[in-house]
Amino acid sequence: MDKRHPSSFQQLEKLGEGTYATVFKGRNGSTGQFVALKEIHLDSEEGTPSTAIREISLMKELKHENIVSLYDVIHTENKLMLVFEYMDKDLKKYMDSYQAPGGGPRGALEANTIKSFMWQLLRGIAFCHENRVLHRDLKPQNLLINTQGQLKLADFGLARAFGIPVNTFSNEVVTLWYRAPDVLLGSRTYNTSIDIWSAGCIMAEMFTGRPLFPGTTNEDQLQKIFRLMGTPSERSWPGISSFPEYKTTWPVYATQELRAILPQMDGLGLQLLGQMLQMRPEMRCSAQQALNHPWFAELNQRSQQQAAAQGQFAPVQGMVAGQQRAY
Amino acid sequence: MPPARTVRRAVTDENAEAIGTQRLTRAKAATLTDDVIAGDPPKKALTTKRSATNVTTGPLARKRTALGDVSNVAKKDPVEKDDLKKDVLSRATSLSKSAKPSGIQKQPARLNSTRAPLGQKSSNAAPSDLKRSGSGIGGPVNAKRVKSASKSEDTEASENVPPPKNGSSGKMKTEEKVKPASVEVDEGVDLESLEDLAKDLDTEDMDDPLMVAEYVHEIFDYMKQLEISTMPNPDYMDDQAELEWKMRGILVDWLLEVHTRFRLLPETLFLAVNIIDRFLSCKVVQLERLQLVGVTAMFIASKYEEVLSPHVQNFVHVADDGFPESEILSAERFVLTSLDYDLSYPNPMNFLRRISKADNYDIQTRTLGKYLLEIGCLDHRFLKHPPSLVAASAMYLARLVMNRGEWDATLVKYAGYTEEEIQPVFKLMVDYLAAPVAHDAFFKKYASKKFLKASIVLRQWAKKWAPEYLNGAVPQPSSGRTPS
Ligand SMILES: Nc1ncnc2c1ncn2[C@@H]1O[C@H](COP(=O)(O)OP(=O)(O)OP(=O)(O)O)[C@@H](O)[C@H]1O
Ligand SMILES: [Mg+2]
Repeated sequence: MDKRHPSSFQQLEKLGEGTYATVFKGRNGSTGQFVALKEIHLDSEEGTPSTAIREISLMKELKHENIVSLYDVIHTENKLMLVFEYMDKDLKKYMDSYQAPGGGPRGALEANTIKSFMWQLLRGIAFCHENRVLHRDLKPQNLLINTQGQLKLADFGLARAFGIPVNTFSNEVVTLWYRAPDVLLGSRTYNTSIDIWSAGCIMAEMFTGRPLFPGTTNEDQLQKIFRLMGTPSERSWPGISSFPEYKTTWPVYATQELRAILPQMDGLGLQLLGQMLQMRPEMRCSAQQALNHPWFAELNQRSQQQAAAQGQFAPVQGMVAGQQRAY
Repeated sequence: MPPARTVRRAVTDENAEAIGTQRLTRAKAATLTDDVIAGDPPKKALTTKRSATNVTTGPLARKRTALGDVSNVAKKDPVEKDDLKKDVLSRATSLSKSAKPSGIQKQPARLNSTRAPLGQKSSNAAPSDLKRSGSGIGGPVNAKRVKSASKSEDTEASENVPPPKNGSSGKMKTEEKVKPASVEVDEGVDLESLEDLAKDLDTEDMDDPLMVAEYVHEIFDYMKQLEISTMPNPDYMDDQAELEWKMRGILVDWLLEVHTRFRLLPETLFLAVNIIDRFLSCKVVQLERLQLVGVTAMFIASKYEEVLSPHVQNFVHVADDGFPESEILSAERFVLTSLDYDLSYPNPMNFLRRISKADNYDIQTRTLGKYLLEIGCLDHRFLKHPPSLVAASAMYLARLVMNRGEWDATLVKYAGYTEEEIQPVFKLMVDYLAAPVAHDAFFKKYASKKFLKASIVLRQWAKKWAPEYLNGAVPQPSSGRTPS
């Protein structure tokens, strides 16, 4: 099959539209296989966007079952087409259309599904971090799921490789609602913990069906966070007053219990969420630590058994039987 | 369509260094070099003494196609370095005033304004520009570049600063905690007995998020893999009809000036050179296109590495308008496709910093080390060695010059190489230092105070000690002493 030509794919319906790309469902003319075609318009003045260069280069490196596969890149005169593994939906759309059989708020998922999704999300993140990549735009729209209940990270347009020590990067990363407080405060020396904050926000959102911190501006975003986590001070966060966006005029909120706003969560889950949603980046747990949390004990055990049964190290993790109907 | 993602702004770079220091006149070039451009050193250079007399055989002996004009088969007298320069670089210019960066491309900001993903949940309606925070680089960028940077954007100078501990405090821990031997076994280091003696310095980084201590082993293991998969063919020049190694040297030397002028990150230079070499490993290039390849590689590397990368127009200017924007853009596409978009080259600076950690982040040693590491960019003989080994040799040699003591178990662990493994590359470096200056811009850059006059210091050292290290039967460096 001539994969190198756009016409070898039949273009079907539009799946999504982003800031610099449009994503279509496509069918491979010769194999019939469904794919997702991400079309990036090329700026005649600046050539290939840096976001596309990074996305392609990094996705070619990151081969993992919880990261969407990039099959091919087709570079024509005025557009760049990335051919991705087809996934059925993004998590945002899935939540929007989901109504739990037992009632509950629209968009809220069931505990077992959430656990499985979080486990897969964290495995994807851990793999990125071990391979020195920050995703920097984790949010439900960028997490894709399929009918087998798999979840995969997508949209590496803001991702980048980092060195050790981590360099100074752009402050304008991550969609506002999922942006970590240190970044909101103006930090440019963030690291892997930036993705963990987003993961925490996503976890809470799956339980409630609503974004945890739906801020409108940088300042509003910070205040929404403070209202739950408490307004930080030099005492609770040494060094905070030297952040560019630090204000002495912040209203002083007391720290609330996560339990109070997430009554539907079990104790272990709340504990894990608390470790991810730490205001201070250095206090946040790593993806690997999160995976080792007892909340995932059952999933970890099952995946180990699977691995042992298959006599291989990296298990092909699907969803456990009881969760197949999650989707 | 949503608003264009790239925003350009004029930048008046008030911090640009004086142009005079960058320009190479014929006269200056002459004083800096003699007829010997590093040329094509014999492959087995290390066993022989390389003095100024036997090097001149290099370029003339080769039978190659003509440089530039095909009728000019007689080749140029290698003495005329500027002529060769002219062949490689358009009009043999060094950077001119017009080459100042005049615009930058804003990189990652994405305005998610078009998404209204929330359906009926009107209370959650996404604000129209979620991602525009109004802080950071979203504000006025003009001339702010250097000031706003805390670490990396301050490029070179900042390399002399130890990584900040505890977030932004910038303080350095000096206490030497002697810790029990670590459990992990570094592959590739066959010194299990030494391993017991090696200190584990990573645990002290546990409270420093920027050191990513929880993943440091995985990451370095991965980089060791990548450095092999991104190695160019060290003999690619054999397949290049119109090119010779010394032209590559001239090109890289010039790119170094461009790099300094644009105030780019150290990472960007290393990546650009790797792009050039891998591209030339798979495509045959005409001499007159070589500079285009270099400029394009730098353009791509900037897009990959920099937070704010220079506008393509700057690259046109810097190459003296030798080719139009459109050519750089189509070259960009061609280079990216040829490399299969693989820009995963692990930056040698990472390895250098890792070793420096086991050297107490000594600033002087690291500055010398950085100069030596860059030799690996300019001198093609290093192409066949992985960056981690070049970094290890750079630190090894720098420590030797600075009398920093022996290459102990901790250094072996953090470098990943024993003294014996380092020897061949170490000798290459000594050989480069002792030979006549081949890369003027490079030499001058590191002759500045800012770089502790690394190039001068090392040259003087090499003049004195090179014979001993290159010919002496006793490789004595384990004493950590400059031989007496
Ligand atoms: N492989 C895929 N399979 C199915 N749907 C996909 C796939 N990739 C993307 N989509 C859909 O297209 C949307 C946009 O894709 P993506 O996030 O990669 O584009 P983007 O332009 O980078 O987005 P943005 O800039 O808004 O973050 C996704 O949210 C998802 O709904
Ligand atoms: Mg997206």
